[in-house]
Amino acid sequence: MEHLGSLILVAVGAALINNFVLHYFVGICPFIGVSRRLDTAFGMGCAVTFVISIAALLSWTFTYYVLRPGAPLTSAILGKDVDLSILNYIVYIFVIASSVQLVEMYVRKFFPSLYKSFGVYLPLITTNCAILFACLEIMKHVSGANPSEIWGLDKALVLAVFGGVGFTLAIVIMAGIRQELDLCDVPESLRGAGITLIVAGILAMAFMGFTGVDRNLKDAFSKNLNVPATPISSATGQPKELTYNVRQK
Amino acid sequence: MKYLQQAWLVLALALLFGASLAGVYVALADKIQANKLDETLRQIPALVEGASNGQATEVAGRTVYRALDAEGKQVGWVVPASGQGFADTIELLIGLDCQAGNIKGLYVLSQKETPGLGSKVTESRFLQGFAGKSTDSPLSVTKAASPGAGEILAVTGATVSSESVTQIVNKNITQLRSELASAAQLRP
Amino acid sequence: MPTEGPTPLERFVRGILPENPVYRQLLGMCPTLAVTNGVAQALTMSGAVLFVLFCANIITSLIRGLLKPHLRILVFTLTIATFVTIADRILAAYVYSMSKELGPYIPLIIVNCIIICRCEVCASKQGPLTAGADAIGQSIGFALALLSLSIVRELLGTGALLTGTALELRVLPTNWPNWVVMVLPPGAFITLGLLLGLANWAASRLASLKNRPA
Repeated sequence: MEHLGSLILVAVGAALINNFVLHYFVGICPFIGVSRRLDTAFGMGCAVTFVISIAALLSWTFTYYVLRPGAPLTSAILGKDVDLSILNYIVYIFVIASSVQLVEMYVRKFFPSLYKSFGVYLPLITTNCAILFACLEIMKHVSGANPSEIWGLDKALVLAVFGGVGFTLAIVIMAGIRQELDLCDVPESLRGAGITLIVAGILAMAFMGFTGVDRNLKDAFSKNLNVPATPISSATGQPKELTYNVRQK
Repeated sequence: MKYLQQAWLVLALALLFGASLAGVYVALADKIQANKLDETLRQIPALVEGASNGQATEVAGRTVYRALDAEGKQVGWVVPASGQGFADTIELLIGLDCQAGNIKGLYVLSQKETPGLGSKVTESRFLQGFAGKSTDSPLSVTKAASPGAGEILAVTGATVSSESVTQIVNKNITQLRSELASAAQLRP
Repeated sequence: MPTEGPTPLERFVRGILPENPVYRQLLGMCPTLAVTNGVAQALTMSGAVLFVLFCANIITSLIRGLLKPHLRILVFTLTIATFVTIADRILAAYVYSMSKELGPYIPLIIVNCIIICRCEVCASKQGPLTAGADAIGQSIGFALALLSLSIVRELLGTGALLTGTALELRVLPTNWPNWVVMVLPPGAFITLGLLLGLANWAASRLASLKNRPA
């Protein structure tokens, strides 16, 4: 139950609270470039989610078994603990490039019309910061973490898939807004990227409202915290302050 | 054969870059490791009075630091602790006396709380409230102007962040006291 | 080999304002938004990008005769990834706290469109001198873009520049109510959008002034 709870936390965190586009600023280039129409935006979101999952799977496997300090495969082959983490970034970018090639071949064979409508954007997913960012987050929790806190494959995949879902969510919302913006009188110099960024700022403000959701979810999921409740005593005896503190004590 | 001819450039580059990366690794690995350790050790003199450096030890699977004075005698403990804050994980260093009975000081290593509000938990105004508090019973957070013996004054407008820091301190000290007692490490 | 295309000096000058990577080419938006919450972070990122772009351009230019068409992206990527790893390690060794703050955005230089674009457009076609000048020009342009954004954000968000370093410069009075939103994501997006609009307006005014009959 607690493990499922931590998976849900990672999922909600990646999709909503720390949205890849609106909080971590990764994947901005397609976010601005491909968000003009709803169907292309949704297609791009799905493609990115697909590629991110494959890339996360492969990069977690490489990091866990080969690259991190004390990795099982390298110690087995070389006989002692070696730290190959300096090759991390090179391995990740090659994994990503191969994943994109794989997805491109798959889409060309099974969805030829979709392939044609994507055009040049499909190979461009290689330079999408969001995918490398997902790999880097996984690296942070596998390579640089204490042995008791290393992320398993399930958490890594959940982070990647729901990061992609969050990206799709943001890009689809933006596409919907931009389709309406086309009918508005936007000043000449702000047309295109300018107004998209300003709207993205307002979207980011809206998504900031999700901060703190994972904190209460975590409390709900973890049983037996083993910590005596810390009561908050208020000298004024007022019923409620205007903060987000709505937990029951 | 044609592919090998075309690939020889990539292979040669891979070898060249691999060699330069190995060189960079050898040259800088120690420095980076020292930086990571230094982050914690640098705070020890401020956290436990009389301490000039620290020594890492393992207690029940976690790394804690003995605070040592100039002669090498232990004058306290420094414990890294982390837990959920309002927005994301907060990492702390807790300074304790030798018996882990009193908190000597607190330092926030990293936090991602709301800038200007929750981030004020890093300020000494808030952290000073922990100095001298006993660890016999859990601490609580209050908004009254003069906090009592087991109470910490919260940061205005950042109740949840203040409460999170207090909870992290409580949880880790409870854990540490039992671990130290069972490992018979507590000394008078 | 005769020099085709722009001269080194032209490449250098173009990269600063006319072909500014952020404001004119709309490349490299990810670090522009992410690391501009402080001037110190912006300068460190610009320095890292300068190092990587310069080295990658020089190496690519030196081997440009040997590049086969379908292998060139692979070679660019390998080169850039290597230099980014080196830059990341150097930062972790010498400015550890800044490296921790910049976090994942240094390795994200690998997929920064600016560098791959310059390798593709300039370094793979022209000699090392031109490629080097292009790299320096584009990096200065990138640094200018980052500085413009980070000065606005840090000034309005904290009232001082270079906070946390030894060179902290208090510009606004201490009772300035910090516009906290500026150092948060929404402020980044909105500020960049407005500055982009400003840059577009300035460029179109300049173009119309040039085209006005004498």
